[in-house]
Parts: sequence; C-alpha cells; structure tokens
Amino acid sequence: MYRYDEFDAALVRERIAEFSDQVDRRSSGELTEDEFKPLRLMNGVYLQLHAYMARVAVPYGVMNGRQMRQLAHVARTYDKGYGHFTTRTNIQFNWPALQDLPAILTDLAEVEMHAIQTSGNCIRNVTTDVFAGVAADEIEDPRPWCEIIRQWSTIHPEFSFLPRKFKIAVIGAAKDRAAIRTHDVGLQIVRGEDGQTAFRVFVGGGQGRLPHIAQEIASAVPGRSLLAYLTAILRAYNLLGRRDNIHKARIKILVAAIGIDAFRDEVERQFAILRQEDLRIPDEELARIQAYFTPPPFETVPAISPSYDAARRLNPEFARFTRSNLRDHKQAGYGAIIVSLKPIGGVPGDITAAQMEVVADLAEKFAFNEVRASYEQNLVLPHVRLDDAHAVWSRLREAGLATANADLATDIIACPGLDYCSLANARSIPVAQALSRQLADAALLEKLGPVRINISGCINACGHHHVGHIGVLGVDRKGEEYYQITVGGSPDEQAALGEIVGRSLPADEVAPAIARALDRYLEIRHDGELFIDTVRRLGADPFRTAIYELTDAAA
Amino acid sequence: MKLLTANRLNDGRVIYLGVDDAVAETISTARPLEDAVAEQALAQAQSRPAVFVNPYLIEVEGRTPTGRDRLKERIRSAGPTVGHSLDFAARLEAP
Repeated sequence: MYRYDEFDAALVRERIAEFSDQVDRRSSGELTEDEFKPLRLMNGVYLQLHAYMARVAVPYGVMNGRQMRQLAHVARTYDKGYGHFTTRTNIQFNWPALQDLPAILTDLAEVEMHAIQTSGNCIRNVTTDVFAGVAADEIEDPRPWCEIIRQWSTIHPEFSFLPRKFKIAVIGAAKDRAAIRTHDVGLQIVRGEDGQTAFRVFVGGGQGRLPHIAQEIASAVPGRSLLAYLTAILRAYNLLGRRDNIHKARIKILVAAIGIDAFRDEVERQFAILRQEDLRIPDEELARIQAYFTPPPFETVPAISPSYDAARRLNPEFARFTRSNLRDHKQAGYGAIIVSLKPIGGVPGDITAAQMEVVADLAEKFAFNEVRASYEQNLVLPHVRLDDAHAVWSRLREAGLATANADLATDIIACPGLDYCSLANARSIPVAQALSRQLADAALLEKLGPVRINISGCINACGHHHVGHIGVLGVDRKGEEYYQITVGGSPDEQAALGEIVGRSLPADEVAPAIARALDRYLEIRHDGELFIDTVRRLGADPFRTAIYELTDAAA
Repeated sequence: MKLLTANRLNDGRVIYLGVDDAVAETISTARPLEDAVAEQALAQAQSRPAVFVNPYLIEVEGRTPTGRDRLKERIRSAGPTVGHSLDFAARLEAP
C-alpha cells in the first residue's frame, strides 16, 4: 500500500498544528461557533445530537494492521470503545471531546491517517472496488489511480470551496462494485484504442433529495490526461454550479439542468484551454505510485486446498460462511474474506475496539497486512490462503465478526439515523435491527440469495436507499417516524433508482412488510433468478401488493 | 412550558439550563421556563458561548419534550436508543 512521502507527512503535520490552534481559539471563546464550524468541517469534525463526531478518512478503503490498531486505540482512549464504518469507507467516532481532537489527529498521523477530505465542499475521499487487486475480472488495479487523484485533490486550492461536496469513485472492471454511477464523477478503467489505460467517465450522479444516476460524458479519456479531464469537469462545475440554493448545488443538478451534451461541450471547452502539460501524469510518477500496489508475495500453491475442502465438508457452518463471505481471488489458492459488520440484530457498520484488534491481527498474520473497508460497511481481508480460511473464520467467529451474510438480505446498509445524526428525521438502526432479526434464519437467507436493503434516516440518503434493491427512507410525520419503501434500485453497472411503492409505514410494520415482499419473490421467481432480476422482469407491482397486503386488508 | 437546551462547548454533550442559571447535564434537572422568561433565558445563554453552543428552546410538559421534535429531543436527553453506547454505559455502571 501507499506510504507517505515527506510532502504527505508535512501536510498532515501542518494541518494538525493549524487545527490545534483553531480548537484552542474556539475553547477560549476567541472564535464563535459560526466561525469555527467551517474550520472544524475541514477536519472531519461535526457536532451531532449528543457530541462532536470525528470522521477519519480511509483513502480508497485501504488500511494495514497498525492503522486498525490505532483506530482501536482512538476508540478506547477518546471514545466509548467503538467506531462506525460509513458508506463512504470512512470511520466515524461518535463521542470525542473538542479538546481531544488535536490529540486524536496526532495519534492518527503516527500511522499516516487523517481526517482531511471527509467533510466540507471539497473533493472528498475517493472510493473504489473493495476487491481491487483481487478480482479476476479487473483490467487494471484502480488503487494507483485513486492515490493519484488523492494527491491531486488534497487541499486543492481551486477546488476547496466548490458549490457543494464532490465525490469520485474509480473501478477497474466492467462489474461495478463501487457504485460509481451514484457519484459526482465515476471512473471506469477501460482499454483505449492504443491499448493503454483509459477511463470511461460518468458525471452527475448523486443521491439525496434529488437523486440522479450519472451519465456517460466520455468513453475513453487517456490515463495520462485523467487529471486534466477531471480539472476541466471541476472547473466547469465550479463556474456554473449553483451557489444560491444548497439543495441545487451538486453537479447532478447542473448536468440535469443544462443536459449532458451541453455540459460535455463546456468540459471540452475547459479542457481545450487548460495547461495540459502541468496536469499530465509523468510516466515515472505513475510507475512510482503503481509500485506501492504491486501484488503481495503470494505463494505458488495449487488452486485446490484439500484442508479447506475438508473443513467445508466437516463443518456446515464454515461451509455456509465460505459460500457467502469468501470471494474468488485472481491468485490460485487464495480468497478474499468479507468480515461482516452486520451481526444479526446489531448496528450496521459498528465495530468495537477489541474487534478492530482481532481484524488487525488477522490481517497481519493471514492477509499480507491488508484490510479494506467496503462501502457496504463491512471489512475485507483481501488475500487469505484457502489453507488459512478456517483459522481466520474461527477467530472472526469468536469475535462476532463471522455472520454469513455478505450481500444477503441481512447485510443491511444503514446510516446512523436519528440515534446520532442531527440531520435525521427518523431512526435507521432500530429498523435495520428489526429487519435483521426477522430475516435471521440462515437457510432462508441463502435461499433468498443476494438482496441489497438500504435504510436512510433522512432524504440526504447516507444509507443509499435510492439504490437499494429494497430501500427504506425514514420520514417525519407530525413528530412520528414513518418509513417510505422503494423497490428496484440498483447501485451497480445497471444502476437504477428505486420506485416508491406507496404510502409510508410506521416503524413496526417495516420489517414484516419487507419480509412479505421477499416471500413473494420466492413464489414468483424463475429458477435461479436473483431478486433484482425478478423486479426488473415484473416491475414493482407484485412487491407493492405484498408490502401492503395486510394493511390494505385491515383498511 | 419550555426548556433551554444546547450542546456544551468542550465536549459537545447535551446540556440544559438548570436552576440559578447553572448547567444541567440531565433533562430531569433542567429548569422549566415560563414562555414569558424563556426568550430572555435564550438571549442570556447566547451570551455564554463558552458553554452553550447553538442554544434553543424546546416545548415540554413537565420535563417531557412535546412539540414536533419531541422524538429527537427524547433521544438527545437519553442518548442513542440502541447500540454500543448502551454497552459502554452498562460497563460503567457495573461494579
């Protein structure tokens, strides 16, 4: 993985010194809250319902064991012993005191971590495929390009005061495992006509109040021109994006308002007048960064592991875990293990300090010292020998991290909701917990197969409800929590927004209603047809009927 | 009746205006304010920015939040309704 050079280290150090001074001035009353707020937001600090919240960047979701241990240390020393992984592959601490923030950032800097680009109207922490460098269908590892974008975008003077926040995601395969079309800019690595790395570029995606799926703006931007092309997009947005209305300030609104063709013309106009030579990525610099992401020293082992196969035969629980949480690896004899942060009845994305240390141990011993955070709010040990899979599973199981539900119906994505968030209208976590308990049966989960359920506690959509196969949005109706259900959303290469099926339901009716919709799927699916494909074939109607059947009967 | 609430500057915790203008850490020790004096209390809290961050008034009956944001205010007063913060509190209370 990437290691800081002297520039990165100095930048983070200087930022901590600057922010420490700002915290001191806030504490002494020299700065008002209004003055301090934009400063703290530039350092990932929010003021939530119960306390300050610190959001720590995990650049493109990649960490090592030492970093994970340091996160555990922060959780234990300055917080209540846990953290929360977000849908942007960052981690949030919910209870730090203002005076502790400089110390937290100092401790994080020791392990090359920081909170830059986790909030504010800047280019945010870039995200990618959690199986980067693992998946066999990858054209090229996207992480070096993520790192290049990180270096270019970090405290970029021209793009630090955009109309609104700006999110970029990069994938290296046709299969989209990073939801790139829900981002302001989505980048997909393709091969250009010259056989070199190029990028298919999508622009204008975003969720929130007015959701849009990103549209293709370019089919093959050459890799060396990537930063120039991104600059042209940002420049067009920075000049034309609205600043008069926060709800209409994202690039998605601009692209929808003027149309993709007019926006493309504007980007090309900007591209033509850029000083391209300043933004062209030098070959030697690309090679230097790519070198940080060379594959680890895999052992040459057979694709088949007799001990792994035997463990699967002997232990049905382990076998089930491998079916849902172990993914193929491009290296023979290895797999990627998904560490579930979705225990039945738990809080999606939450992890205790002790669990972080278990994951750190396992990464160091069994996964070439790598951990990934996924936007589904799970962790991944990316390179585990199949021979070691049973040992890894045993440790995870002891630590409560081995729920066999990756991509299944209880792998629920949920924002913190009204239990923590000052923007929320309704709670998300209790709804996720009720649904998780309702669908807990492991055999049922496997029978249902992959189903993506997303819950947001307000229209800002941090739980990505618009693109859940089943989405749940909390709304406030005269002080009571109600939940609107959508069906048919999808975050992948066939990205789509879900359709609202009808009136919102009270909290205790949500889980049974969704369970009925899933039962209906089992009745009407074709052999081998996934939930989302049944929805695509038949539309939302059969599920609407199931969701409302009891309430309609009662009315 | 109303209560005055805010987040405390140094740790962000939920606080209320208590008796004798002291800071109350629990809603049960907050001072109920007649509507007539509530606005004045708000102005005073706004003049103490070293303690009260974003102070505002909430509607209550007794000390139970009513009004449109009653759920949010109940959660603010009691903490998250679920999750690890409850485990943490339980550990603190354990002998």
